[in-house]
Amino acid sequence: MVLVLAIGDLHIPHRAPDLPPKFKSMLVPGKIQHIICTGNLCIKEVHDYLKSLCPSLHITRGEYDEDARYPETKTLTIGQFKLGLCHGHQVVPWGDLDSLAMLQRQLDVDILVSGHTHQFKAYKHEGGVVINPGSATGAYSSITYDVNPSFVLMDIDGLRVVVYVYELIDGEVKVDKIDFKKTATAATH
Amino acid sequence: MVKKAVPDWLNSSLWYPPPSSAARPGSSATNAAASSSESDAAPPDHSTETVPVPVPLPPSSAVRAEPPEVEIRDPLSDDSDNGASGSPTSTAEDISRQAQILQELSRKVINMGELRRLASQGIPDGAGIRCTVWKLLLGYLPTDRGLWSSELAKKRSQYKHFKEELLMNPSEITRKLENSTSLENEEPKCETGGVLSRSEISHGEHPLSLGKTSVWNQFFQDTEIIEQIDRDVKRTHPDMHFFSGDSEFAKTNQDALRNILIVFAKLNPGIRYVQGMNEILAPLFYMFRNDPIEEHAAFAEADAFFCFVELLSGFRDHFCQQLDNSVVGIRSTISKLSMLLKQHDEELWRHLEVTTKVNPQFYAFRWITLLLTQEFNFADSLLIWDTLLSDPEGPQETLLRVCCAMLILIRRRLLAGDFTSNLKLLQHYPPTNISHMLYVANKLRSHPAR
Repeated sequence: MVLVLAIGDLHIPHRAPDLPPKFKSMLVPGKIQHIICTGNLCIKEVHDYLKSLCPSLHITRGEYDEDARYPETKTLTIGQFKLGLCHGHQVVPWGDLDSLAMLQRQLDVDILVSGHTHQFKAYKHEGGVVINPGSATGAYSSITYDVNPSFVLMDIDGLRVVVYVYELIDGEVKVDKIDFKKTATAATH
Repeated sequence: MVKKAVPDWLNSSLWYPPPSSAARPGSSATNAAASSSESDAAPPDHSTETVPVPVPLPPSSAVRAEPPEVEIRDPLSDDSDNGASGSPTSTAEDISRQAQILQELSRKVINMGELRRLASQGIPDGAGIRCTVWKLLLGYLPTDRGLWSSELAKKRSQYKHFKEELLMNPSEITRKLENSTSLENEEPKCETGGVLSRSEISHGEHPLSLGKTSVWNQFFQDTEIIEQIDRDVKRTHPDMHFFSGDSEFAKTNQDALRNILIVFAKLNPGIRYVQGMNEILAPLFYMFRNDPIEEHAAFAEADAFFCFVELLSGFRDHFCQQLDNSVVGIRSTISKLSMLLKQHDEELWRHLEVTTKVNPQFYAFRWITLLLTQEFNFADSLLIWDTLLSDPEGPQETLLRVCCAMLILIRRRLLAGDFTSNLKLLQHYPPTNISHMLYVANKLRSHPAR
């Protein structure tokens, strides 16, 4: 039972001052084992805050990140799953499923987490799953102003992943869940 | 200050085990047997007569009436001597007692009073007798032999149930709940592409939930206790291979201890887990796991759990911090011990508490809460537990008498010492003749107050 937080596109301090208080009250240290962050934090203070939630922090570079040392893409293995991470502004057209699927095949991962569009999405295609955690602060994106703050928490348990989607809609936190299993055959490429 | 005379009976040399002279038959054999290391999985040897009191018993025992040594030995061997296997005088005694206990155990309906009487003299080590007797004394096994197998089966499956229910992590719990509610959703995601369907979560059951009723929240709150249990289990009896070390065997035993304590903590939210419970559990589990009957040893965990609950039920209040100052709490028990000492040996009591100001809390706390497991070596504490469990007065009263006996036995050293030396002595109680000590404790009961 591994809890992985997928979060990103915070754009602090340029487009948003901080995480919504309701999100902040839920994110306490000690519960989450890994944090994967799509990028665009943008400053070191946010990096430190995320690090205080969980020491295992993985970040990729967004186009507004002040720290230039973050990698463009990252892959990691958690349990039975391979996860890939990328901010998403590099993949054109932005948010397009086929292009993201291409990136997923390149990285050879089961779950690809990318952002940039500030819209939560969860797609499945035959190569695997693509998850976009959206923007945790609700900052405006290059595409739209109408953004609901959201992030994603994945519970990886053997061959099964339960994805909990946290969204702030009209000031209330709404949690949805998505279930999927990795078929054993998919593991053998 | 009028010095209250020490009562005569206290002065008799009956109180003092014979000094370690060669006149003691068979003691050398027992000494050799006693040093068998505890690292064997076999039940520990009796080490009753291991170390004759090394204490500076001044040879002025000549001052008192000095019956020849033989006389002193006999009452000991008759009453409470368990007879280490090497000693010639006690073997016959030992065998006869073993036979008596076995005979009692083989009756259809066991007479608890008789069993208690036999057990209080010490339970012999062989043939898993102690396991069965302890289970009977703690009420785990009913007195009617015919009911044993059904009772055992019932209890063991109940424990298995507890484990399954309480040791599951929240992912598994939510999965189970789902599986039971939506049975037709076997493979909903065989679509090859497209947006994944979202399902709404009801009643805040998500990992970051801060709700009190949330499974996840409870899980994270329990993690702290589980970590504490983990740490204590790893530290239990580091000198015994049974409990510690890298072997598979030790690891499975530690896991069993951990499971029992976690299940107990979850079933008892009022008291949860307190440091020290692992020490009370350890001898129980050790005994049951080393039961020569394979079938029982396999279920040692379940048996130990129920016996642990039963044993702790009398002492629960000692572990509850809020009850510390109440009538049932640990402080009150310690003051009972103090009163008992005053009743039987006022001179010592006055010297300890008034003159040298050794507050009984400094030493008696550990004696009482951990049921003397930390003061003596493992084998000796099993013997003490035989007496504690079998006494009809109940373990609490018996424990106080044994503690009082412990104090009285070293009275000469205590009377001669100041605060520092007395405290040191009491916190590292010197090795002593256990059967003698139990004999003294027994005498404290029948003696009227002076």
